[in-house]
Amino acid sequence: MNDLVLIRKNLFRRKLRAILMIVSILIAFAIYGVLASFERAFYANQDRATADRLVVVNKINMTQPLPISYYNRVAAIDGVAQISHFSWFGGYYQEPKNFLVALAVDPENWMKLRDSDFVFSPEVRTAFIRERTGVLVGARMLEKWGWKVGDHIPISSNIWSQRNGSHSWDFTIVGSFTARIPQADTNFMVMGYDYFNETRSFGKDLITWLTLRTTSVAANDRVMSAIDTMFANSPFETATDSEKAFQKSFAAQIGNIALIVGLVVGAAFVTILMIVGNTMVMAVRERTREIGVMKTLGFSGGRILRMVLGESVLLALLGGLPGLGVAFVLITRVRDSLMSFLPTLSLAPDIAAAAVGLMIAFGLITGLIPAFNAMRLNIVTALGRS
Amino acid sequence: MRSILLQTLAVTVINLKSLPQRLWMSLATVTAVGLVVAVLLTFLAMANGFQRTIAGSGATDIAMVLRGGSEAEINSVVLRDQVRLIEEGPGIARGPDGKPQTSAELYLTVDAIKRSTGTKANLPLRGLGPQGAALRRGIALTAGRMFTPGSNEIVVGKALGSEFEGFDLGQTVTFGTSRWTVVGLFSAEGSVFESEIWADLPVLQSLFKRTGAFQTVRARLTSPAAIEALKAYSDSDPRLKLDVISEAAYFAKQASNTSDLIQKLGWPLAIAMAFGSLAGALNTMYSSVAARATEIATLRAIGFGGFSTFVGTLAESLILAAIGGLIGAFATYLIFDGFTASTMGGGGSFSQVVFNFQLSPSLIGQGLLLALIVGLVGGLFPALRAARMPIIAGLYG
Repeated sequence: MNDLVLIRKNLFRRKLRAILMIVSILIAFAIYGVLASFERAFYANQDRATADRLVVVNKINMTQPLPISYYNRVAAIDGVAQISHFSWFGGYYQEPKNFLVALAVDPENWMKLRDSDFVFSPEVRTAFIRERTGVLVGARMLEKWGWKVGDHIPISSNIWSQRNGSHSWDFTIVGSFTARIPQADTNFMVMGYDYFNETRSFGKDLITWLTLRTTSVAANDRVMSAIDTMFANSPFETATDSEKAFQKSFAAQIGNIALIVGLVVGAAFVTILMIVGNTMVMAVRERTREIGVMKTLGFSGGRILRMVLGESVLLALLGGLPGLGVAFVLITRVRDSLMSFLPTLSLAPDIAAAAVGLMIAFGLITGLIPAFNAMRLNIVTALGRS
Repeated sequence: MRSILLQTLAVTVINLKSLPQRLWMSLATVTAVGLVVAVLLTFLAMANGFQRTIAGSGATDIAMVLRGGSEAEINSVVLRDQVRLIEEGPGIARGPDGKPQTSAELYLTVDAIKRSTGTKANLPLRGLGPQGAALRRGIALTAGRMFTPGSNEIVVGKALGSEFEGFDLGQTVTFGTSRWTVVGLFSAEGSVFESEIWADLPVLQSLFKRTGAFQTVRARLTSPAAIEALKAYSDSDPRLKLDVISEAAYFAKQASNTSDLIQKLGWPLAIAMAFGSLAGALNTMYSSVAARATEIATLRAIGFGGFSTFVGTLAESLILAAIGGLIGAFATYLIFDGFTASTMGGGGSFSQVVFNFQLSPSLIGQGLLLALIVGLVGGLFPALRAARMPIIAGLYG
């Protein structure tokens, strides 16, 4: 009979208690996995933002427009390497509730700018530049609506109207693109600005924002102030910020709700573990006399320490690993319904690794006090205690 | 019958009196159940407060007219000619001067800094006409005065003023190149309008280069039912084809998305945690039964029935859970009731809404119910064990 068998027998000496502790740990780590994944997805936009990308919006608010003429003026600034403009289309498919992220861009430069995030095949590149009424639809959006490249789709806008009064535009899907990096979400579509601008009934020659890449991160500050100074005191003043800061302040608008949810759920995780830890301590205490017998038989203090620690770590892993599995299943199941809200929701490997680390730490911490006591236990006291 | 009752009562009292001997395990259960209830109630209070603020903002006798399919005020565009046609529509109440009681409005978002975090946030800036305030329930100036038509003056909702920087009475606020003076603060019965900035419509249109542009029209109806006539009128005129919806329905829809999301998050989480605390409760009760094994066997040996030991154990579990539930509810009430939060408004609204967490007796009832379920299930199996325990085994244990 080796130590491992002893550890297992000790753990399951009271089956129900062991199972309940395992279930509690399972739930705690399921909560942890889900919470950490949600938090990651929530802040993913910031991670995705690269340091050398800047965003130019109207200083009043990001929903206020900028004139298209700013595009060339900003592009000419020294230190600007790549740039595209973006216009919010406010798209939906058939019913207003089927909301779609659709943006009007400068096709050629948009693909250059986003080349580090998405994969564009050479055919897709030429097709999107050539076809005026063409749209590129991201792989996830294509899959979500069951569309194919070559389909003609009517996309409505909840803001814009065509000159003929219609709220709907007919587009041809000329291609698709996939993510080059895992954080990049492809649940959106882009259209050529020229066609959109010519056919809309108002808002002519206005855009919503500019995104640009600087020649180097070191040039960021200079470019930012050059842009904002250029348009100061004009009817359309600008606010330029790094993409990261921009996304961060946008995420912050969800406000303290996210923080409260995080705190409350985090407290839940900690408490469950505390309850289990308490039970674990008691379970070892119950065995005092038995440990005394083992010591009489010649088990060394160190060996008993290892066995008790092994038991608590085993318990933590037996509960925690399936818990992570449950978190994975939950995340995968809610993922599609939250696709437009949290596009990059997933249980990332590093979150799972951190969870395993926490399990082991939890096992060690809960085992440490009883194990230490067991190790130091005086045989006479142990046998005398009942 | 009476003896069973007396026995049960006696066993329950003995159990409760011996609780201090099992203090730590019992406290662990109380804490666990308390936390489950606190988590659930925090989520429910958040959803409830948000729901009440937004859904409570709309009136059934106010019609809102938006561009078809636009879903939210911020997206909507209504043209000048359409405004005129709507004002002539059926079912709209008229004032003593015979004019229709309508308000064509512009709804924009502007940046401001949130006091608590120092971060930028989108705030709604509404341009409205002379009848705008009268079309909303319970608008009252708490300081200063209303803006003067034709001037760069704004009045600010009370909730917005306290959450965001720079909106104190007399302060000057800059939106782009336009400068505005805060001349008044208003309350609106805790509705979403308290999170808005109001300015004179023509001034806002000209300073934001939106001359002749409107986003929504609000109209007081002669009765809530009159909305059907206005709807039919809009549908039948090809120049209109606008969405006509009661203000109450509009805000109810706006609120439902976000509060649904909070509730959908809160309940599953609370139930998952309830399982965790159930494990704790079962553990506590089993060890309670084990600790009382000799005592239970003795009671049975002197003639107490299995039923009384069963109920006695169950009662202990229920009481622990109830104490936990009450503590959890009370803690949530102390910490979160009335807690002010602001978030991006639900639905298609793109700006901040300030709201308070609100607990209600029915929510607390839901929390206590969950606690008692945990207590019941957590006590049931240990109680069965207590009732079925062979007397001999107990006496020798």
